[in-house]
Amino acid sequence: MRTSFLALGLAAIFSTLVAQAQTSVPLIPPVSISAPQPSAYSAAVATEWFDLALLLTQQTPGFSPPVAARALGYLGLTLYESVVPGMPQNISLAGQLNELNSLPWAQPNEALHWPTVANAAMATMSRMMYSNTSAENKARIDLLERSLPLKYGQDFDPNTVTPDITNRSETFGKLMAMAVMTWARTDGGHEAWGPLRRSRANYVPPSGAGKWSATPPAFTAPLLPWWGEVRPFVLKAASDCPAPPPLAYSEQTTSAFYKSADEVYRVSNMATQEQRQFALYWADDPGKTPTPAGHWAFIANDLLKQRKANLALAAETFAQLNMAMSDAFVAGWDSKYKLNVLRPVTYVQLVIDSNWVPTLMHTPPFPDYPSGHSVQSSAAATVLDQVFGANTAFVDNTHNDRGWGPRSFKSFKAAANEAALSRLYAGIHYRFGVEGGQVQGQCVADKVLALKFKR
Amino acid sequence: MTHNKFHSFRRGVLACLGLVIAMDAARAQQPLMAPIPPIPRFVEETEAAGLQSRFEGEDEYMVGGGVATFDCAGNGLPSVYVTAGVNKAKFYRNRSTRGGPIKLLEERSGLELTNAIGAYPIDIDGDGITDMVVLRVGEVQVFRGLGSCKFERANDAWTVQTGNAWHTAFSATWERGQSWPTPAFGTYYDRSRPDFPWGSCTPGLLFRPAASGTGYAPPTPLVPSHCALSMLFSDWNRSGEASLRVSNDREYYKNGQEQLWHVAPGQAPALYSPAEGWKPLQIWGMGIASHDLDGDGFPSVFLTSMADNKLQKVAAGAKQPTYSDEAFRRGITAHRPYVGGDIHPSTAWHAQFADVNNDGLTDLFVVKGNVSTMPDFATLDPNNLLLQQTDGHFFEAGQQSGVASFKRGRGGMMVDLNGDGLLDMLVVNRWDKAQLWRNLGAGTAKEPVPLGHWLQVRMAQADGNRDAVGSWVEVDLGEPSSRVIRQELTVGGGHASGHLGWMHFGLGALTEARQVRLRVQWPHGEWSAWQSVTADAFYVMDKERGIGPWKAP
Repeated sequence: MRTSFLALGLAAIFSTLVAQAQTSVPLIPPVSISAPQPSAYSAAVATEWFDLALLLTQQTPGFSPPVAARALGYLGLTLYESVVPGMPQNISLAGQLNELNSLPWAQPNEALHWPTVANAAMATMSRMMYSNTSAENKARIDLLERSLPLKYGQDFDPNTVTPDITNRSETFGKLMAMAVMTWARTDGGHEAWGPLRRSRANYVPPSGAGKWSATPPAFTAPLLPWWGEVRPFVLKAASDCPAPPPLAYSEQTTSAFYKSADEVYRVSNMATQEQRQFALYWADDPGKTPTPAGHWAFIANDLLKQRKANLALAAETFAQLNMAMSDAFVAGWDSKYKLNVLRPVTYVQLVIDSNWVPTLMHTPPFPDYPSGHSVQSSAAATVLDQVFGANTAFVDNTHNDRGWGPRSFKSFKAAANEAALSRLYAGIHYRFGVEGGQVQGQCVADKVLALKFKR
Repeated sequence: MTHNKFHSFRRGVLACLGLVIAMDAARAQQPLMAPIPPIPRFVEETEAAGLQSRFEGEDEYMVGGGVATFDCAGNGLPSVYVTAGVNKAKFYRNRSTRGGPIKLLEERSGLELTNAIGAYPIDIDGDGITDMVVLRVGEVQVFRGLGSCKFERANDAWTVQTGNAWHTAFSATWERGQSWPTPAFGTYYDRSRPDFPWGSCTPGLLFRPAASGTGYAPPTPLVPSHCALSMLFSDWNRSGEASLRVSNDREYYKNGQEQLWHVAPGQAPALYSPAEGWKPLQIWGMGIASHDLDGDGFPSVFLTSMADNKLQKVAAGAKQPTYSDEAFRRGITAHRPYVGGDIHPSTAWHAQFADVNNDGLTDLFVVKGNVSTMPDFATLDPNNLLLQQTDGHFFEAGQQSGVASFKRGRGGMMVDLNGDGLLDMLVVNRWDKAQLWRNLGAGTAKEPVPLGHWLQVRMAQADGNRDAVGSWVEVDLGEPSSRVIRQELTVGGGHASGHLGWMHFGLGALTEARQVRLRVQWPHGEWSAWQSVTADAFYVMDKERGIGPWKAP
């Protein structure tokens, strides 16, 4: 009796399925392959690639701080977009970022191995983003791509990751990197180190009282004067987050501007040993370090390693953090070249002490206001507050290899404040430039944090 | 429950579960429940037919590679015009024997050109003789057909001056009340910016007939343009008015996307907007194929790309151009090679819906090939022949049918070159010879046998739009399938390749009488009455004279 009932049930199910199969368009939902999600893997692929990216940033010609932040931004986005098809609770950022409407999507019926996807995507993007790096560094990219699966056996288990899955995963990762790169090339900042390829006249700095002019000792031409026109990732335009108005220019000794310049003059001349250390620690010079954005990316990378984060968290973190820092540079540069505030060294020499130059470091070759380091450090700290929690104490190991660390901070904000003020101690920024930059950075971070990552 | 009954029950449950799992697994992959469609056999006849053409050229010739097929000899057999990049584009008169091997004879026609990358036949001046539009790296050249497969340049006579841009796409429609077509041309990136091409896409052009009644008024730039590689005027919502679909290459545009333009008589072209239901999509757009795949009356659109091919179905009815992507659901993603061992993503160019096995279900032909030597994309990238199954899925038959070429494909055409009712295949390959395959159906080279019944129809009407471009032709298959299939007669789309002439319908199995009914919605709205025709024959459907059989001379 029971068997007959089963047979009837069986027949009913069979006939239902057959009926479905015979409709003109099959009622087949996308098949979800039960492959492990990115959250099931360690963040090793991400952290290893960002370790290398910071080295490439330091050692590749032309990677000034804005250029470096841009490269890290695209790498962060590429990492996220390469694995987000495997994160059912998350959504792609295509449609939320400027001029990026859609990206390729993984085929629902093809199992992918997300560490392999991420590895291929990051390798491909690194090659394209640092295309002018040395042959040695290009070999490093190749080596890392090849060695990661061997180094992290727990994430690349050959018993479960078949050659077929590896091939599919690599091709999807490369495809994603190429799609992101097609977008990157049109942002106005692509290959900024190359010959001038844009239809624009050479930049002529405006003249007038209080306007920036090239600074001693090298009187170098202004760096990337059009960077404020680079398409941001998230801000609709650089001017969405303007720096607050700077102090009105004045050479009157009673004026706020004079007092601010005088503060730079006095503080930098009388800086304590600790303040001098701060200044040098946060200098983050290109060519010698991975630049300011690389510094914060290092901090994030270190924390992800320490906390044994998974690949999904790492991807989301690097996307948020790095895009925020890149947009911070665009917004900051937009304000810098719109306002064209002269540097303290110029003001002090004109008004206070004609022989003074900052003793700790040369003044960077672009207008003062706002302090770029302050903008992007503020943005970075706000994002990391969100990811790891406010008041997260951490140890910064960025400069250990250079003999300047480790250094402990009680919070990201504390580190950002120190980074900002270090520019005052160094004699290269006014206090109002530091404070204005922090306001601008907060605005940028708020807009990046408003992106929708979750369904 | 006794021990035996328990085991009986458990076996039943397991069997039931097993069946469900097996059915799900079957559906998850290629659906096994739909029978494999009849697979046609093709034999390559490139050399034997006398086709000798190589599409050559470096950077500016990475796209394009078109072929045009049209009957200029009046023998009912499409002749062939093959572009060849920096090489000379050639015209071949079709000297095939009906049902026999394909024979093409190169002949001087006036269409001999260098820098030609695409070609579309169209009767521009409405004299009943097919003219030709040739897309070039440099100015577009339009040719007036003189009859007997001779052509003369007509840019000056028709005032078609496109300038010296990189012309990569074409389509045309006859707007209501016009006797001359409205052609649209797509362009690629700025030829003067090869060192930094990104973001330098140049404007397309829309020409409208001159008020004088001959030739064209100065063109209207299509702004914004986003490096178009295919364009198609199609009546996407059956309003009686064609809109211009443009597929754009994300590789070079800044803030670009796929586009759909309103082209309303007397009005400037205007993009469909998100407010109207248009959803932005960014792909490496290279080719457009359009067909009413599911019988809802609206054309679905297949867009080729680099591993990111889309099948867009009208999802919100006639009022909104909102599309859903059906590529995965239909098994039509075609995103990587299916044979040859290359695991990299595919690069797809020409696409065309056509019933290659005459089973009454439209199939999809996609030409594939690496852009040049891009290492991250497949080098061994075979063309696809995706046969539609009874359940709406598509079955890849490129290898079994013998057309899985690994050359760098670009343009192509499925067209009946020897008048036997079976669609043959032409493919243009970059840095390589063009190829030609003859469709043998279920037969042999000596005796082709169609896999199903077929019908070929040519539209005709008086004055102006003589070929009735913009018509919708419906064929009621009657018993046993009880389906109505339909095609829109368009000029444009594919990848740089066009056909004008016979519209081919596969009819599948029919009753012994081989009767089907046919009707036409003429451009801009009027329906003809249903007409009975006998399968496996050619007909001319004339708006004034009605339908009549066509006999080969």
